[in-house]
Amino acid sequence: MTEQPVFTPVSELTYSKAVAELESILRMMQGDECDIDRLAAYTRRATELLRECRTRLTATDEELRAILSDLEK
Amino acid sequence: MPIVNMESITLLQLNKRLASLITVPSTQDVWVTAELSDVAVRGGHCYMELLQKDPERGTTLARARGIIWASIYPRIDAEFHAATGQRFATGIKVMVRVSATMHPVYGISLVINAVNPEYTMGDLLRRRQEMLTRLQAEGILEMNRSLEWTDVPLRVAVISAPGAAGYGDFINQLYNNVQRLRFKTRLFPAVMQGERAPETVIAALDCIAGECDDWDCVVLIRGGGATSDLVAFEDYSLAANIAQFPLPVVIGIGHERDVTILDYVANMRVKTPTAAAEWLISRGTAALDRLRRIGADMLQAASDKLSGCQSQLAYYEGLLPVAPVSVCERASALLHTHLVTLASTGPRRITPEIARLTHRGETLGQSVRNRLERQSSRLDSLSALLDALSPQSTLRRGYSITRAGGKAVTSVSQLSPGTAIETTLSDGTIISVTK
Repeated sequence: MTEQPVFTPVSELTYSKAVAELESILRMMQGDECDIDRLAAYTRRATELLRECRTRLTATDEELRAILSDLEK
Repeated sequence: MPIVNMESITLLQLNKRLASLITVPSTQDVWVTAELSDVAVRGGHCYMELLQKDPERGTTLARARGIIWASIYPRIDAEFHAATGQRFATGIKVMVRVSATMHPVYGISLVINAVNPEYTMGDLLRRRQEMLTRLQAEGILEMNRSLEWTDVPLRVAVISAPGAAGYGDFINQLYNNVQRLRFKTRLFPAVMQGERAPETVIAALDCIAGECDDWDCVVLIRGGGATSDLVAFEDYSLAANIAQFPLPVVIGIGHERDVTILDYVANMRVKTPTAAAEWLISRGTAALDRLRRIGADMLQAASDKLSGCQSQLAYYEGLLPVAPVSVCERASALLHTHLVTLASTGPRRITPEIARLTHRGETLGQSVRNRLERQSSRLDSLSALLDALSPQSTLRRGYSITRAGGKAVTSVSQLSPGTAIETTLSDGTIISVTK
């Protein structure tokens, strides 16, 4: 069994680092050196990074409503 | 003294005299350069103070009231603004054509009937150029412009006048973005026009600098109003503050043609507060697009990888039933080849060997025979020689051997008379006695 890669928890990454890691995973997956045993692990990691990045960029509806209502006060 | 009898005139009469003294050709339609102060529009007329200041000390050397009548003010204002991007405001230097008038009640005024915008432009540009040269010499001109932006500037410190239409536009635009980008803003209030603008903006910048780590950029906006009093922003210390500010500064204080010194030092210049918000949103949108692209590419790469592995497996699967058979076939073919090779190798190598052996056998017999013959003929000749040399044959030719006492006699001195000698001939022996 191949040893599974170890990742830094996404919450500890800066946005830039998270995006950089995403891109390096992508490059690896597009290249020849991607190990099929680790494909699932890397895909899971990439999904996690993507979700985290999006969350940092975008607000939920409730948050937006709260911000706009603050403005109107 | 009977003062009552003294001749006098009324104030109105005096003022009328003054007026007639003042309104002479040499005070009419004169081009004058001056600095403006206390500009105000009332009832369509534009009132202002015209000043001349000591360039060294800044003290006022001359002052006069100026008026542009409502009948021509809109035209003059429009022309001036079109040419300079400025409106009449405190601090602006102008060249105006004036006619001196004297009103009995309001006193002397200079009625402006034309303005030369090029003078103002030249003055503004010269002052701006001086400031730019100074900022350049101090090595700070490009500092804010060369700052790197964070990937996605979401934390925005806003400097604006509270309640200004421009600020409202900015905030509404920013938070009503389709992408729901998570912006964080705070207003750092400042006076955005008039003489107090530079100092209050600098104070707001100082506040932001104190919590620099909490913000990604500064947006300096005003607007909404029609007035375009930008001369207050042509300020060296404000420009120097912005140039050296540690976060990128976005300037959105005028319209397209209204350039100030701040536009030269700030990292980013936009036309309106709304444009500032749009620009920030576009940065966020670009980041989201990048994420989307990465996600799609990732999916593609993973499924490519999987389908690559699957088709490889399918290929091996197809190969599996065939492979052992073909291995046997190949082995058997190889054996056959060896066999053929071997078969052809035997005769090819053995035949010449046999021929060689045969040949050698023959050669051997011949040489033995030759040798025997040579030996035999030699023996023959030796035997002939021996024959020739033997005493018998000499005897046969008539020679004889004489012996005395068993020894061969080779000299007569060996014999004395009466000695018995034995003469051997070829066919017998004669015994005789010497005499």
